[in-house]
Amino acid sequence: MAKDNVVVIGGGPCGIEVSRNLRDMGYTPILLEQQSELGGHLRKWDRLFPEGVEARKVLKELTSDLKGVKWFTDVNIESIQKSRKGYTVNVDTGMSFETKALVLTTGFKLFPAENKQEYGYNIYERVITNADLEQFFKTRKDSRIQNPKTIGFVHCVGSRDEKACNRQCSKVCCATAVKQASEIKEIFPDATVYCFYMDLRLFGRSYEDMYLNAQRKYGVRFIRGRVSEVSEDIDGKLYVKAEDTLLGKPMKIKMDLLVLMTGILPGDSTRPFAEMLKVPTGEDGFFTPKDTILEPCVTKEGGLFVAGACTGPKTIPETISEARATAIQVHKYLS
Amino acid sequence: MGKLYERLAKDIRIKEWLKACMNCGVCVSVCPAAEFYKYSPKNIVNIVQSQDDEQIEALLKSETIWYCGECMSCMTRCPRKNAPGQIVMALRSLSIDMGYFAESEKGRQQLPLQRALCGNILNYGYCVYPRTFKYEDHPESGTIGKWIGENLDEVHKRLGSNLEQDGPGVLRKIPKESLDELKAIFDVTGATERMNTVEEVSRRKAEEMGLDMDEYCKRAFNYVGEGHTLE
Amino acid sequence: MIYKGKQKIWSDYQKEIPDDHWFYVRSCIRQNFFPASEVTFLRILRDELGKDIYETPHHTTCGGIAYHQECIPQETQMTIIARQFALMTEAGYENYACSCITSFGLYCETLETWHEMPEVLERIRENLWKACRREFNIPKYLAHSSDLVYKFRDEIAEKAKYKLVNKETGEPLKVVEHIGCHYAKMFPSKGVGGAEYPYVLVGMAEKWGGNVIDYPERRHCCGYGFRQYHVKANRGYSISNTHKKFESMEPYHPDFIVTNCPGCPYFLDRWQYVIAEQTGKTYGGNGYGIPVLTYEEMAGLVLGYDPWDLGMQTHQIAVEPLLDKIGVKYDESKKYEGTGGKPLPEPEFPMNIRCC
Repeated sequence: MAKDNVVVIGGGPCGIEVSRNLRDMGYTPILLEQQSELGGHLRKWDRLFPEGVEARKVLKELTSDLKGVKWFTDVNIESIQKSRKGYTVNVDTGMSFETKALVLTTGFKLFPAENKQEYGYNIYERVITNADLEQFFKTRKDSRIQNPKTIGFVHCVGSRDEKACNRQCSKVCCATAVKQASEIKEIFPDATVYCFYMDLRLFGRSYEDMYLNAQRKYGVRFIRGRVSEVSEDIDGKLYVKAEDTLLGKPMKIKMDLLVLMTGILPGDSTRPFAEMLKVPTGEDGFFTPKDTILEPCVTKEGGLFVAGACTGPKTIPETISEARATAIQVHKYLS
Repeated sequence: MGKLYERLAKDIRIKEWLKACMNCGVCVSVCPAAEFYKYSPKNIVNIVQSQDDEQIEALLKSETIWYCGECMSCMTRCPRKNAPGQIVMALRSLSIDMGYFAESEKGRQQLPLQRALCGNILNYGYCVYPRTFKYEDHPESGTIGKWIGENLDEVHKRLGSNLEQDGPGVLRKIPKESLDELKAIFDVTGATERMNTVEEVSRRKAEEMGLDMDEYCKRAFNYVGEGHTLE
Repeated sequence: MIYKGKQKIWSDYQKEIPDDHWFYVRSCIRQNFFPASEVTFLRILRDELGKDIYETPHHTTCGGIAYHQECIPQETQMTIIARQFALMTEAGYENYACSCITSFGLYCETLETWHEMPEVLERIRENLWKACRREFNIPKYLAHSSDLVYKFRDEIAEKAKYKLVNKETGEPLKVVEHIGCHYAKMFPSKGVGGAEYPYVLVGMAEKWGGNVIDYPERRHCCGYGFRQYHVKANRGYSISNTHKKFESMEPYHPDFIVTNCPGCPYFLDRWQYVIAEQTGKTYGGNGYGIPVLTYEEMAGLVLGYDPWDLGMQTHQIAVEPLLDKIGVKYDESKKYEGTGGKPLPEPEFPMNIRCC
C-alpha cells in the first residue's frame, strides 16, 4: 500500500527532516540535493548554540535513518512542469519524478564577505568569516590564525545594511558571535576578545546565559558600535575603526584576527525556483508563504510547500519544527 | 513636527539624504571632525530626526554644525543610506537664512568666508584667486608660497599660465559678460540674498559686540575660543 | 595583503571612458597652486596622444568651494553647473571632463539629484534661462581628468623615458596614492576602482613601474575640510588630520605621494613643512619631506618632461631626492628662473626641513 511520491528539493536539515517524517507517514519521499553530500550548512559547522551541541552529532542523527527515503546527491533540477495532477520534476541525470506535492527546502547562503569591501575579506590576510572559524574549530588548521592576542567579532556583516543590499536582520549571527567568541577564548585564553554589535538580538531560551557566560567566564568585551572600516598595518595587523556609541567615543583597535559574522541571504536557487514555480518572494528575496502567521509552510499554489531557511533566517531547532509541521501539511493536502 | 523642521524638510539634501539613523556609529569612527572636535555626526542626525524644534534651534545656534569638513566619508558608509555631511549642509543653510549663525563663534566665520569666496567668484570667476591669496593670511603656504607671491607674474608665466590674459588657459581673464552671467545667477538663485543676510546679521552682531565690521571680520577669521577640541 | 582580492574589486568597478572629444573645465585650486599640471595634462592629451580636448575661456568656477562653505545656496551651485553644461552643449560636445575633484563630486551629485527629482532639473533650467538665456544638455559621459590619464596609461608607458623605479637598485618606487574624498566616497560607482580601493592612481603608478603602498589611514581625508582650512582659526583641524596620515604612512618609507585632487597635494606638501617647522619632524629621510605629486606631474616625469616645466619648483617639499632616485636629468641652476632664463630671487629656506 505504498503511498504517493513527494519530491523534496534541498537536502539540508530541513529537507532531511521533512523527508523522514513523510516516510514515517507512509509516503515515498524523493530528496534531491545539489551538493555531493546531504546536510547543507550543518556539515560545515562545528558546534551549535546555545549549549554547544556538536553539529556532527546532530547531522549523524538526522541522516542515520533514511531508510525509505529515496535521496539523490549531485543533482540539478533542469525543469519542473506543473500539470493538473501535480508536478513533473526533471533532473540533469536524466531522471524525472512525478509528484502531487512538492516541497522546497532550498535553504540560504551566507553573505559573500568580500562584498563588504571596507572590511577587507580576501584582501587583508587576517580577516576571516564565521564559516571559516567553524572550519578552524573543526580542523584546528588555518594559516590566518596564529595565536592571536586580540580578536574582534563584527556583527551584522551583510545584514541590516542597505549598502550591502540586505536590510534585514539575519537573526542567528548575534548568538553565533557570542558562541564563537567564547569558544575562541577557550582555545586562546590569553586573547582579548571584542564583539562589535549594534543590538544584541539574543532571543531564545538560555541564550542570555550564553551571553552572561561570555562576559563573566570568558571576559568577552561587548562594544556597541558597528565597525566602520578595516585596514592593515606594516606588520599585517588589522586596524579596526568603530565608535563605542555608549561612551560616544570613536576608537581604533589593533587586532590580530577579525571574524566577520556574515548574514543570511536567500540561496542562489531561490530566484530561479520562484520564477519557475510562481512563488512570490519578498523584497529580501526569500519565498513568501501564503500566510506568515498561520500557514508559514504553504504557498498559494496547491501542492507546493516551502520550509526552513528558504523563507527566512532560522535556527536549527526552528527548522526542525518547521520541517515536521510541513510534513503534516503535505499529508493533509494529499489525503 | 515644528516649523524649523518643516523648513528643513524642504531642503533637497534632507529629502535625499535623511532616511532614519539607527545609531550604529560608523559615521563617527571615520569622521575627521570627530577626531579633532567635540563632534558627532550621529548626534546631529538624531536631533534632526527627532523633529524637535527646540533642539533643532539650539543646534542651529551652536558651534557643532560648523565643525564638519564636508569630506563626505560618512556618506560612503552609512548602512541606512543617510548622509550626515549633507544634513549638516542643510542645517548650515538654514542657520544662515534664520540669522542664527552669528550666535556661534564658528558660525560668525561666515562673514570673512563669504567676503573672500563670493568676492573671488563675482570679481574674477574663480573661488580662489592668486591676487587675493595673501601670504600673511597663509603662512602655511611656506617659504615657497611667499616666493610665489612675491614673483607671481613671473612664476605663472614660466609655468604656462595665462594669468589675466584673454583666451583660454590657466587663470585666464574670464570675460566680463561671463562674470555678468554669474552675477545674474547669484541674483536669480538666492546667493545675492544670502550674501545680504550674512552682511546684515553680521553687522548687527558686530554692533552688539561693540566692534566695527572690519574688526569683527578679522576676529571671526583669526579667533580661536576655548572648548572646541577634544584635548 | 592579498593582491588578487583587490584585482577582483577593480574589475567590478570599471567605468566607461570615451577615448576622444572632451569638453574640459579647469579647477580653481589646481590653477592657483599647480598651474603647470593643467598645462601638462593638455600637453599629454593633445600633443602626445592627439586628442581633441576643447576649452572655452567663458567657463568659470563651478562654485564648489563656496558651496561647501555655505557661501552660496545649492540652487546657485546647480545653476552654475547648468551654465557650464550649456557651454558644452553650445560647443557641440557630449563628454565632459573636469580637473577638480570637488567639482567632479558636485557634478555626480547634481546629476543624481536631477535624475531622482526631475522637478529640480526643470527649475534649474528655468533659473539658467532667466539668468543667462541659455539651454543645456546633460553630458553623456562625465570624467575627472585623472580618469583620462588612467585610460591612456598604456600609451603613456609606451612613450615613457623613465620608469618609477630606483635606478640604483632596480627596485620599484614605493608610492602612496591619495584619492580626493569627493572622487568616489559619495558615489562609489562613479570612480575607477570604487570608493574603498580606488584604482585610478594605482593603475597609473603600477603601469609606470611603481609599487603602491596600502597603509592604515589611506582612506582618511587629507585634512582640507573647506572652512577648516580657509578660516585661519580652524586650521588645527586641517593639520592634525594631515599629521595623522603621515604618522600612518611613515613606517613604509614611501618615495613619493601621488594625488588626483587639486587640493590634497597642496595640503600634504605644505603641512609637512609646518609640522617640521613646529616640531622638527620630517618624514622623507635625511631631513627631507616626502614629495607630493599631482598625477600630471607623475605622468610628465615618466614622459621625460623637465621638472621645472612641470612646476615642481613650486613645491615646498624638495623633489630632487625623488628625481635622483629615478635618474631624471634636471638643471638645479634653472629651478628658480622666470621666463627666458631670467633669474628670480631665491626663496628663503625653512629651518627644519631640507630643501636642497
